[in-house]
Amino acid sequence: MTKYILKRIVWIFITLWIIATITFFLMKLLPGTPYTNQAKLSADQIRIMNDQYGLNKPLFTQYWIYIVGLLHGDLGTSFQFNNQPVTYLIANRLGPSIQIGAQAMIVGTIFGILLGAIAAVRQNTWVDSVATFFAIVGRSIPNFVFAVILQFFLAFKLHLFPIALWDGFTSSILPTIALAMAPLADTARFMRTEMVDVLSSDYIELARSKGLSNWQTVAKHALRNSLIPVVTIIGPMAVALMTGSMVIENIFSIPGIGEQFVKSILTNDYPTIMGLTIVYSAALLAVYLIVDILYGIIDPRIRLSSTGGKE
Amino acid sequence: MKLKKLLHLGLALTALSTFGTTLLSAKSTVQAASNQTFTRMEKDTIQSMDPSMIVDAISGQANLDTMDGLYRYNGKNIEPAIATNVVKPTNDGKTYTIKLRHDAKWSNGDPVTANDFVFAWRRTVNPKTGSQYAYLFEPVANAKDIMNKKKPVSALGIKALDKYTLQIDLTQAVPYFNSLLAFQTFFPQNEKFVKKTGKKFGTTAKYSLSNGPFVLKGWTGTNNTWTEVKNKNYWNAKAVKLNKIKVQVVKDPSTALNLYQSNKLDDAILTGENAQQMRKDPAFVPRKQSRTTYIEMNQKKLPEFKNEKLRQGLSLAINREEMVKKVLGDGSIVADNATPQGIMENPSNGKDFAADAKAQDEAADNFDKAKAKALFNEGLKEVSKKKITVTLLHDDTDSAKKLAEYLQSAWQQALPNLKVTLNSVPFKTRVTRSTNGQFQMVLGGWQADYPDPISFLDLFTTNNDYNFGKWSNSDYDKLVEASKTTDALDPQARYNDLMKAQTLLTNTQGVIPLYQTVEAHLVNKKVKNLKYSPQNTYNFVGTYIK
Repeated sequence: MTKYILKRIVWIFITLWIIATITFFLMKLLPGTPYTNQAKLSADQIRIMNDQYGLNKPLFTQYWIYIVGLLHGDLGTSFQFNNQPVTYLIANRLGPSIQIGAQAMIVGTIFGILLGAIAAVRQNTWVDSVATFFAIVGRSIPNFVFAVILQFFLAFKLHLFPIALWDGFTSSILPTIALAMAPLADTARFMRTEMVDVLSSDYIELARSKGLSNWQTVAKHALRNSLIPVVTIIGPMAVALMTGSMVIENIFSIPGIGEQFVKSILTNDYPTIMGLTIVYSAALLAVYLIVDILYGIIDPRIRLSSTGGKE
Repeated sequence: MKLKKLLHLGLALTALSTFGTTLLSAKSTVQAASNQTFTRMEKDTIQSMDPSMIVDAISGQANLDTMDGLYRYNGKNIEPAIATNVVKPTNDGKTYTIKLRHDAKWSNGDPVTANDFVFAWRRTVNPKTGSQYAYLFEPVANAKDIMNKKKPVSALGIKALDKYTLQIDLTQAVPYFNSLLAFQTFFPQNEKFVKKTGKKFGTTAKYSLSNGPFVLKGWTGTNNTWTEVKNKNYWNAKAVKLNKIKVQVVKDPSTALNLYQSNKLDDAILTGENAQQMRKDPAFVPRKQSRTTYIEMNQKKLPEFKNEKLRQGLSLAINREEMVKKVLGDGSIVADNATPQGIMENPSNGKDFAADAKAQDEAADNFDKAKAKALFNEGLKEVSKKKITVTLLHDDTDSAKKLAEYLQSAWQQALPNLKVTLNSVPFKTRVTRSTNGQFQMVLGGWQADYPDPISFLDLFTTNNDYNFGKWSNSDYDKLVEASKTTDALDPQARYNDLMKAQTLLTNTQGVIPLYQTVEAHLVNKKVKNLKYSPQNTYNFVGTYIK
């Protein structure tokens, strides 16, 4: 197990290096300069600025400088936020995004699992139909529509929550709900399908015949075995949620990271683009590793180290 | 059992949070009602508080609130700030000797001295600083050579004659120099503080120093809210009525409207549909920006554009009134000229430059489909063409796309011998292609750095870097040159030169002006004496809540 994890970690670093290299060169293909005031700078002025910021150096030299800095944990300084270290920028902005993403993840998966389980247990009844309806609605309506509706009714009309702005836990509730709808629907769908399958298997019949109540059977035997597909989708879902949503962050005026990524690309803020790409990729790779380890815990038949094939 | 427990826990959490929110909202209502706190919004966060490095309007406003330069805009008037009075230049308009007030202090207790200006200007012009606004100093003696590393920064035409007297030397008379002195890039910097904080200078509230009406609090460098608290050490603190300005970043216009209507904002900025929806509201305040959007036609890429009639035909085919109402709808107004309204007045009668120019233009904002078609066809004959196909380059924002589509349909309806295709690209790509001349027609614009028609008219002189269309007219060049040289010190003669140049540009449609941006605001009626300058900034000295 330890050997397997170590091997995976080495691979994570190699993958990160490849991603950083590809992104670096692709990013340099973007037209324009990182200067906000580019529209007003003459060619001469741009040359003077490029000299100052080392952007006139050969591309490979720039790449080498960046990689050396990266190995020392230095992600450079942002162009958009003058002299602001990218690590500081990301660290500050990642917090709110992670908080809302994690809350949405918890709410989405817990309620999704419940909804899916209830729908499966009450298969083909009105309960199942209502749950399925919820899942379809949650999946098909974009989260910003939920956000606007929640903001208008619960905050603007009923004054139950703050309309926007990042000010304590209460201001995170509406964005959490809006963000949680899609993962809730997805989890419920996967859960229901898998559990319907599991509930028709022989060992469930056995459990029932031993006199366990319906809910006891579900909680003790069916639930765990139905979780595998849910765990599979939880990984990427978690990364997507925690790395921020530009639209939700804008609607609720949250100082998150989602918007920063888009903006850094639009403004050619090279160090920020690189920093965020590396952080996103590292998060995704780490989550995949955790998911693989979780598989083994949930289903001991999936042996991680012995076969080496289940990666 | 577990399920039940979970459900109970969920219900309890919801109830708790609802209770908490109610308490919280009750608290914030009370706060908003407290005296002399003005709550406003910005559409983005502060990017820097280093006067040498600021390029964006939001950081610029925060700098104006917390800093004082030699002069300060109060509405459209320039008033002395750190300077004791607004001085008249000597030596043919090339030398400014400015006395500084002795009672101005930095928030760390240091006096504001002439050396603070010398240090700040040298730092901005120094190529090592990498300031994107260094070019504004070009009229100052030796600035260009310093930027090109041909002279040391100490050669810059600014010196401290004594602790409170400053002398500035220019290479030539600059009639709009006073408005530059009221711009943040020309503000003083405290050498001791800048050196002590080093690279961190201006990156958070803690690493910023104030000598102005307010002190910045709570800005961490990346966050969405900050507060500006009245500076008790400010030399003019008596005139400052507000105790606090709370600023919140709100990016979504619907959220801005909701916050305003819930009394969480005293001043909200709206865009698009929300602005259109609230246009009739008594709290609606349109704020004209010194920005014009126009079309440039690349005469190098498509020599047909050298034909005046073709250009005039294109311009006459656009119904600008309909365009600003139906396509933009945010309160933006028709631009009759490249120079927008509200940046200069006729010295003899106080009439606005743009309005004055409109009265003299033959071609300004005339929508005439038949005339457009006739002129365009005549133009085609003159260049021996039957039909031309043109690509319009534009930004990929929603508003630019809508505008480009509108223009495409307007032209194709009015001018059967013209085919227009659209090319939508990201902003940076559009700017790069404009600069490199890789376009046939481009939908661009200009925001004035200083409120003077020359900021716009300079752009279309023959050798200007920003004359992307390469339109060239020697009479025009002469007029612009005269305004800067022979007539620079005679306000009326200078005004007349600029007016003639503007009329010439419009009549020949060297550029096709479309609209002037107007920022739609909703402002609480209780807010009084809120002054807005031609630099598109607020002056909060004197603002109060009734």
